[in-house]
Amino acid sequence: MSELKPRKDLLDIESLGLDEIEYVLGNAVPFKQLFQRSVKKVPTLRGKTVLNLFYEPSTRTSSSFEVAANRMSADVTNFSVSSSSIVKGESLLDTIETLQAMQSDYIVIRHQAAGVPNIVAKHTGASVINAGDGYHAHPTQALLDSMTFREVHPDYAGKRIAIVGDVLHSRVARSTSTLFHKQGIEVGVLGPGALIPEGRPDFMQRFQSWEDVFDWKPHAIYLLRVQMERQEGPFFPSIAEYHKMYGMNSERLVSMRKLGAYLMHPGPVNRGVEVTDEAMGYEKSLISTQVENGIAVRMAVLHWLKPETQMD
Amino acid sequence: MSDSPNITTSELLSPDRIESAIFSLAQAVRESCGDNDFALVGIFTRGVTLAKRVAKILADEGLICPVGTLDISLYRDDFDNEGTDLPRLESSDIPFPIDGTRVILFDEVIFTGRTIRAALDGLMDYGRPSKIELAVLIDRGHREIPIQPDYVGVVVPSELNEYVKVRFVENDGTEGVFLVTK
Amino acid sequence: MRLFKNGKIASGASPELVNADVLVNEDGVIVEVGPSLNGGDAEVTDCSGCVMVPGMFDLHVRGREPGFEHKETLKTCAAAALHGGITGVVLMPDTSPPIDSGNQLKSVQDRIVELGSIEMLQAGCLTAGRAGKELAGYSGLAALGVPMLTDSDRSIDCPDLLRRCMEYARDFDLLVTSHCETSALAKAGVVNEGRLSYRLGLPGLPAISQEISLVRDLALARHTGVRLHLQQISTGVSLDAVRLAKRAGVRVSCEVSPHHLMLSEEDITNYDTAFKIQPPLQKRENNEALLAGLLDDTIDVFASGHAPHTAFEKSADFGSAPWGASALETAVLAIYDRFIRVGKFNWDLLIRKYSSAPRQLVGLDPVAISMGEKANFFVFDVEAETKITPDYFRSKCSVSPFMEETFQGQFRETLIEKY
Repeated sequence: MSELKPRKDLLDIESLGLDEIEYVLGNAVPFKQLFQRSVKKVPTLRGKTVLNLFYEPSTRTSSSFEVAANRMSADVTNFSVSSSSIVKGESLLDTIETLQAMQSDYIVIRHQAAGVPNIVAKHTGASVINAGDGYHAHPTQALLDSMTFREVHPDYAGKRIAIVGDVLHSRVARSTSTLFHKQGIEVGVLGPGALIPEGRPDFMQRFQSWEDVFDWKPHAIYLLRVQMERQEGPFFPSIAEYHKMYGMNSERLVSMRKLGAYLMHPGPVNRGVEVTDEAMGYEKSLISTQVENGIAVRMAVLHWLKPETQMD
Repeated sequence: MSDSPNITTSELLSPDRIESAIFSLAQAVRESCGDNDFALVGIFTRGVTLAKRVAKILADEGLICPVGTLDISLYRDDFDNEGTDLPRLESSDIPFPIDGTRVILFDEVIFTGRTIRAALDGLMDYGRPSKIELAVLIDRGHREIPIQPDYVGVVVPSELNEYVKVRFVENDGTEGVFLVTK
Repeated sequence: MRLFKNGKIASGASPELVNADVLVNEDGVIVEVGPSLNGGDAEVTDCSGCVMVPGMFDLHVRGREPGFEHKETLKTCAAAALHGGITGVVLMPDTSPPIDSGNQLKSVQDRIVELGSIEMLQAGCLTAGRAGKELAGYSGLAALGVPMLTDSDRSIDCPDLLRRCMEYARDFDLLVTSHCETSALAKAGVVNEGRLSYRLGLPGLPAISQEISLVRDLALARHTGVRLHLQQISTGVSLDAVRLAKRAGVRVSCEVSPHHLMLSEEDITNYDTAFKIQPPLQKRENNEALLAGLLDDTIDVFASGHAPHTAFEKSADFGSAPWGASALETAVLAIYDRFIRVGKFNWDLLIRKYSSAPRQLVGLDPVAISMGEKANFFVFDVEAETKITPDYFRSKCSVSPFMEETFQGQFRETLIEKY
């Protein structure tokens, strides 16, 4: 453990070593156990400040970080940047200067432009946690996905997970698939041709149909949200068509049951698009566990990262 | 143990001596608690070993008591983690209700008292014990917090530039208490 | 009088360098070229280890004046060009207001005369306001000797409009210059679509955006008979189309920038906006294809594509930052270090394609280092090194993908008898 160098920022999965991943996921387990106690808090980050800087709306992720920080006894400030201040052209560097003046220890940032957390991390001494930047990365999502899968499959190496949906616009697909691959889990993808990028890494093997996916005997299906708000062109004919071709419906649920495969989704779920109501009640759905693990993982990340002020 | 220049190590307690000290500790606990219920909670890492050994001695004498484990990394006020900045957290496990229970905390060494202070905070976030007592194998003095053990195996006077290292077979593969001087 | 002694002279005629001295008089005319000259009381400049090269001419430069003087001015642009061995440029009309009429052109030309520095030709727009809807004022522009027509950075979406632009321009024998991009495909793309756009999570701009537009413009040029020049070729597929068109007799020329010859999308490792240039850097195999295109004369000229912006503007995130980098002062250095020094081609190719051919395309005579010619050359020390740092630049813009690179070669000075 003393070989692990302290790290200031968590910007993506790509740059993490397996030892670092094991460390964080290992620590997430005791953090999760705290949830059983009546006092769910620990005093570890008392006196430290966490700034939630969300340029894109998200109650789900920002509240998960808020709960995690609160449970570490940190002081949390939520800074919701309306799109109007971006339109006004307040530059990123000006915002960063303001952030510096606030002297937060941790900055959790979500932004619609890829690369912004990297810029912020370069210009502040705070520990920067990427909560999602454009199509690029969502590292804490990947970590909680891995934690969730490992709970049901402790011998995870060599297992198979198929990701279904809009990979092109999905930072979750990128980070989660990268992490699974690093851990020796095989990754397959299924989706409309226009949404499965040619530039994807070689390890992401493409399936043409649900039949092909199930023939491959996956241990879990990971559904992606259809990014209605990110479509800047016609990628598939209609929602109805998408649901027919790629949705988790009763018929596909039968195959899931036969395989004993688990169902995962980063949330929020579009009922009637990626899933049916019936699928949401599937007994091997890990969706709510993912949410619970999200808090534990984010606590472990806050515990792990060291702002410049704490490094010697 | 090989010594680098300026570091000297000497054995303070032999395995036999340790065994008899732990035995006395167990007897002292038994006498004090009498017929009342109590639980043992060991502080990670070697406090857990100590608590388990004491529990075994008591069980051999017909006294069964629950044993819990407590990781206090999240409660520490310093980073004196034997050189690692990145502590691996252990899963605390208190498999019994804390509310209204008499708890005996176990650690292998008490020094400044800060570890025990953190353990008290950690334990009380699980509930409200009726009483908390402290049992240690070694008391090496130099308290910085007003905390004193209720049960002590051996008192070992030490200097501030010395380390008192306890080694248990279960954790380290060897057994002994050593004094290391830099 | 100045005597440049002990140097070697390069020319477009032959790859061989000639050991010779050059004597220039007070009027800036070369009075003698030959070995071991006696210059009398001329000021002697020792050119040992140096090559004297005819001044370069860059067909694709942004002077940003009028309207964007915070990024660059004609004065700083000229200083940057001189610093990089470039003695003449064609300025893009993407100014504010854009140069779409004789009046606009006249006012820039007056400014250029006032500046009295290097040779600067101002291009005119293809469409009014560069809006892609109506023709600009060609007759007024032609009357003032506009060197080419281009909407710079904008492609005309409507093929019918482009056809009319070409037919009308042909009547004035004007050179139509295209920035080849298909806006419906380019959309929000900020980086080449492929492995890199996936990895960085940025919207991708597919190479077919250039390739489709280029093929369309070639077909229109073939149909109308206009002289067409294609800017900033970046893929082997585009080159193949140009080859075919040339073989079929289309009057087309095309340019390549040192950035696209040497860099590829693999060089964009993080979100450094210095690498956000137009067209986007492509996959590495295209570097080879572009070099082959230079060697087989499919590519006619080098052009830097100089597009200065302020450091503040380029400090935005990769998606929002404007396209472009400072290119005038690194062009020759990069070409020398990566190609000439290692023998991929020689000085003569550089001179043909970065001095003579570009001048010829806009109706100017080539320059040479010979007796009776006006002095128009730069002295280049092939033994010294140049490290690219922010201080290196005379341009207002010091954003460059070559930042922190060290190139073999160093500019000693650039001579230009004021025209």
